[in-house]
Amino acid sequence: MVKKLKKYIKIWWMMSRNSFSVIIDQKLALSVFLIGKILRFVFFFGFLYFLLLGTKTLAGYSSNQVIFFFLTFNIIDVISQFLFREVYRFRPMIINGDFDLVLAKPLNSLFRVLMGGADIIDLITIPPLIALTIYFGSLLHPSFVSILYYLVLLLNGFLIAAAFHIIVLSFAIVTLEVDHTVMIYRDLTSLGRLPVDIYQQPLRAFLTYLVPVGIMITLPAKAMMGMMGVMGIVSAFSIGIFVVFIALRFWNYALTKYSSASS
Amino acid sequence: MKKYWGIFRISFQQEFAYRLNFILWRVRNVFQILLTYFLWSTVFAGPGTQIFGYDRAKILTYIFGIMIVRALVFSSRAMDVSRDIAQGDLSNYLLKPLSYLKYWFTRDVSSKVLNLIFAAVEFIVLFLILKPPFFFQGNAVALFAFTASIILAIMIYFFILFLISSIPFWTPEIGWGSHFLVTVVIIEALSGALFPINILPQGLQSLIMATPFPYLIYFPVEVYLGNIHGSALMGGLMVALAWTGVLWFGLNFIWQKGLKVYQAIGR
Repeated sequence: MVKKLKKYIKIWWMMSRNSFSVIIDQKLALSVFLIGKILRFVFFFGFLYFLLLGTKTLAGYSSNQVIFFFLTFNIIDVISQFLFREVYRFRPMIINGDFDLVLAKPLNSLFRVLMGGADIIDLITIPPLIALTIYFGSLLHPSFVSILYYLVLLLNGFLIAAAFHIIVLSFAIVTLEVDHTVMIYRDLTSLGRLPVDIYQQPLRAFLTYLVPVGIMITLPAKAMMGMMGVMGIVSAFSIGIFVVFIALRFWNYALTKYSSASS
Repeated sequence: MKKYWGIFRISFQQEFAYRLNFILWRVRNVFQILLTYFLWSTVFAGPGTQIFGYDRAKILTYIFGIMIVRALVFSSRAMDVSRDIAQGDLSNYLLKPLSYLKYWFTRDVSSKVLNLIFAAVEFIVLFLILKPPFFFQGNAVALFAFTASIILAIMIYFFILFLISSIPFWTPEIGWGSHFLVTVVIIEALSGALFPINILPQGLQSLIMATPFPYLIYFPVEVYLGNIHGSALMGGLMVALAWTGVLWFGLNFIWQKGLKVYQAIGR
């Protein structure tokens, strides 16, 4: 098991190094995308700041709490993009049949297409984002237990994000027509930039249980604010594991539908 | 004129080639509207709340207005121009007896018509589900000014897209990157599609109002709401007209320069 894990870490590092080299070779494109990502963050952050300057609270949450929800969304969103960027390049691989080459290798095909192209642009933005999250998190004066719950639920959030990306990959195999399922996922999760409490029913229930954006993003932030108990965390993890299970089943089903077209 | 009508019809039919894709694209628009709608609905949840000069009816009309104005202004095919330049496909069009600019403008109009139809349906469905208070503008002058501001917004957006799409003449590798930076990030934030510009401090507002971006969404919707009138309305329309002119001349200048360095790489 440990040997297998070491092998996969080594392969991930090799694939990531190759992916980084490709992007670093295009310095101008790297700069443009990096500036774009930073500006997008700054614009929404600025909007929230000025909005809360006028309203003081949002759905009962203070300014610092709302900003912390937004930062937690970014932590999960940016790290997921950093790890799972290869998902965005999967559809062409299916259309021209290059996925055959992945299947023929002595390597888990899902691992290759899920984590085979880490994104250096997102990696650059992660340290300042973590620093900001720690700063705004400290303003909430959390207890040690709250921080622990936050980290545990953050991990659960990454599990759900991974499951979503696996579902997107599976969709790409099953239905060739859809080329932006991943963007639908991004739009859905972007509804978690703010606490799901702002949405009316049944949208709130939809975002909490059916597409668990709330469990993925809102719950970790709530845990940091001391609003979560052990039972809530166990339930969140149960849903997280269930979503991963469904995603893996769907992936296995999708593989049986792969027709190796154009290869 | 007949050939552009032909382009319009073919382009319209092309949009239906990938129906599921198109529908999912519209679904994405609905998600964006939902975030903005519920955010502002929560802010104005208390009865009689007045913030940033808006009441609940006006802010929710602003959000619903965005749906229609977005479909009219932001629906476009002209971002494909950068790919034509980067891959050398521009040569095919330069040899044909048509204006490349008019060709893409016609395709844009076709995209706008289709998106407007879908946006109208989404508007009705969401309106029936959410039942927001709505501000109906009955003043003929405001409605006329709103129409004029929409026409100017369409022109400004088209020229900006074409200018951005011209970048691959010099640096083909940042075709999508420059669109991401300008259309996805800057225009999305500064046009008023996410929030009304007047929630920002006065200095920042003045700075943004001096750029062409707020004349794409914020200005037309504010004109509809009747929040901009009299000399401010005339001044705003003049600034939008001036930007249309500046961008038109800028585009002609850049496009001519670009054609001189165009090497049809990839053909």
